[in-house]
Order: sequence, then C-alpha cells, then structure tokens
Amino acid sequence: MSRQDLAADRILSLTLKAGAYTAFVLIIAGLLLQWATPWGAKVATAGLLVLLATPVLRIIVANIQFFRERDLKYALVSLGVLCIVVLAYFLGIQA
Amino acid sequence: MTPAAVLLLMLIGLSAGAFGALAGVGGGIIVTPLLAIYFGLPMHQAIGVTLLCVIATSTATSALYVERHVTDVRLGMTLELATTVGALIAALVARQVNRRTLAVLFACFLLYSAGSMIKKAWNSRNVKREEIIPDYTPQNYPLGLAASLIAGGFSGLLGIGGGPIKVPVMYLFMKVPLRVAAATSNFMIGVTGATSAYIYWGRGDVRIDVAAPLVAGVFAGSLLGARFSPKVRSFYILLLLIGVAGWLAVQMIYKLLTGGFQ
Repeated sequence: MSRQDLAADRILSLTLKAGAYTAFVLIIAGLLLQWATPWGAKVATAGLLVLLATPVLRIIVANIQFFRERDLKYALVSLGVLCIVVLAYFLGIQA
Repeated sequence: MTPAAVLLLMLIGLSAGAFGALAGVGGGIIVTPLLAIYFGLPMHQAIGVTLLCVIATSTATSALYVERHVTDVRLGMTLELATTVGALIAALVARQVNRRTLAVLFACFLLYSAGSMIKKAWNSRNVKREEIIPDYTPQNYPLGLAASLIAGGFSGLLGIGGGPIKVPVMYLFMKVPLRVAAATSNFMIGVTGATSAYIYWGRGDVRIDVAAPLVAGVFAGSLLGARFSPKVRSFYILLLLIGVAGWLAVQMIYKLLTGGFQ
C-alpha cells in the first residue's frame, strides 16, 4: 500500500468519524430536548439528516482523493456511484 | 413517545450495534422484525427505519476499519456501482410489494442468515484470526458485480445490509481475504443503504420518533462493540445472534400463519 493510500484512508476515516459523531450528538441532544421544547424533534431530525449525508460526503472525499492521485479509473468509478446516489436523492424528493 | 419507549428503542439499537461490531453481522436483521412484531410498525416503515440503523453501523465501524487499512476502498467503490443500482430499483419497487410478501421474504432471509451464521460459527471454532492480511488481487469482477446488484436489491427491498450475500462471493470467488471482504462489505452498506433510504424518507416511510433513539443506540453499541471486540470471542456472540435470529424467524412465521402483517 502506497503512502498516498495510507493518507487517503486517514482522511476517509476522519470524514466517517466526523459524520458519525455529529449525528450522534445531534440525535442525543434532540432526544433530551424533545420533552422540554418543540425544537427537540427538529434537532433529532437534523442528526438523522447528517447520518444520511455522511455516505455521500465520503464518496465526494474519495473522489477528490482519486483525482488528486491522478487515479482516473477510480475517480470515474466514484463519480459514477455519486451520480446514482444523487439520482436516488432527487427521486426521493419527488416521491 | 414515552420515555420508556425511547429507552427501549435505544436498548434495541445498542444491542444491534454491538452485534454488528462484535460478530460482523449487521444488527439490521434483528431490528426490522422487532419493530414489525412488537412495535406494530407496518413492514415498509420497519424497513425504512432499519435502513438508518444499517447506515449508522456501517459509518461507525467503517471509520475504524478504514483507519486500520482493512477496508479495500477501491474494491468497495467498484462494487458500489452495482449495489446502488440494485438498491435504487428495489426501493422504487418496494412500495408495490404488499406487506405480507415482504414479511415472507424477510422471514426467508432471516433463516438464510441464521444458516450462514451457523456455518460461520462452526468454521470459527478454533481458527485463529488472520492477523496479517495476505497480498491479494481481486478476481472475477463480473461475478462480484452481479452478486452486489442482488445484495443491493435485497437491501432496498428488505432494509438489510446484504453482507451474507456479498462476503462469501468476495471471499470464495474474488479471492479477497475474509477480514477484508467483511470490512469492505460493511463499508459499502453505508452508501447502499443511503441510496434506498432517500426513497423511503421521501415517501414518509422513515418514522423519526422511532429512528432517532434506535440510531443513537446503534452508534453507542457499535463504538462499545468495536472497543471490546479484541476481548470477546466472536463464537459466543454468533451463537447468541443465531438464537435471536432463529427466534425472530419463528415469531414472524407464526404471525404470518395467524394472519398478521396486514
């Protein structure tokens, strides 16, 4: 495994961690607040939205990494995955 | 929702997350039947909520596996081309499938998972974990992509991760070491689950009051499970999970036979 790959793994892992912890904190805060204010449910929803956005964020981060490494094949592969997920997002909005 | 119900859902999420991290088997298979049998959620809603739990398990545990370089990111990305297409199509079709049919399919999948876990437990009796990952080049991409399409389809239809389909194919036919196959499958589940979750969310099949406590529990369970995984023999966790999956399958079949899941 190259040094570039090791660095790329670290950035990907950080992206996933940031998403997981942000979602976790927002959901817990929302759950506690829901008995105190009507805002609680909204905060929890925001946490779930962060959870749903994290996989997309990690595709984008990987895509940027592949482009920077001039690994065109996998840059295109990750772009393809991103297109399908974005398509699902827009179909979901319309549903 | 009462504080007691919130706490109960968090506990269910906690055990699902811990199972996922300790046994490498997505806890998703226990969440859907619990919600459908004991919380009275319609199958579509139970599946929609489970998708979020599956994404949470994948995100929390992948952060660790990617950091430890166990996950094959390139292989995962390539197979995601197929899992996402399968997930998207299946999520769109799922609404047309009636609840009882979904419950029958889910019960079959539970039994299949229990069977594959029995095999896994039997094989892992005395085998020491492969500590160093041997060199490998993934083989047979067409077969891997085909299996991923099917696994993605099951994910979109039933809300499960599809690990019991992808991992054996990667291990046996693509010649990927077992640990890498498991970590990579787990990595793919986040993106696959998100693809179908957008459709379920858009249709209003994700109950936020149920999903929030479950997901919080799953995060905590995954983190605890990952911390204790070197100290716990996965053999016993697998036995426990086989028991739970078998029990839930029996409950689902009983409920189907007595006219439930309408």
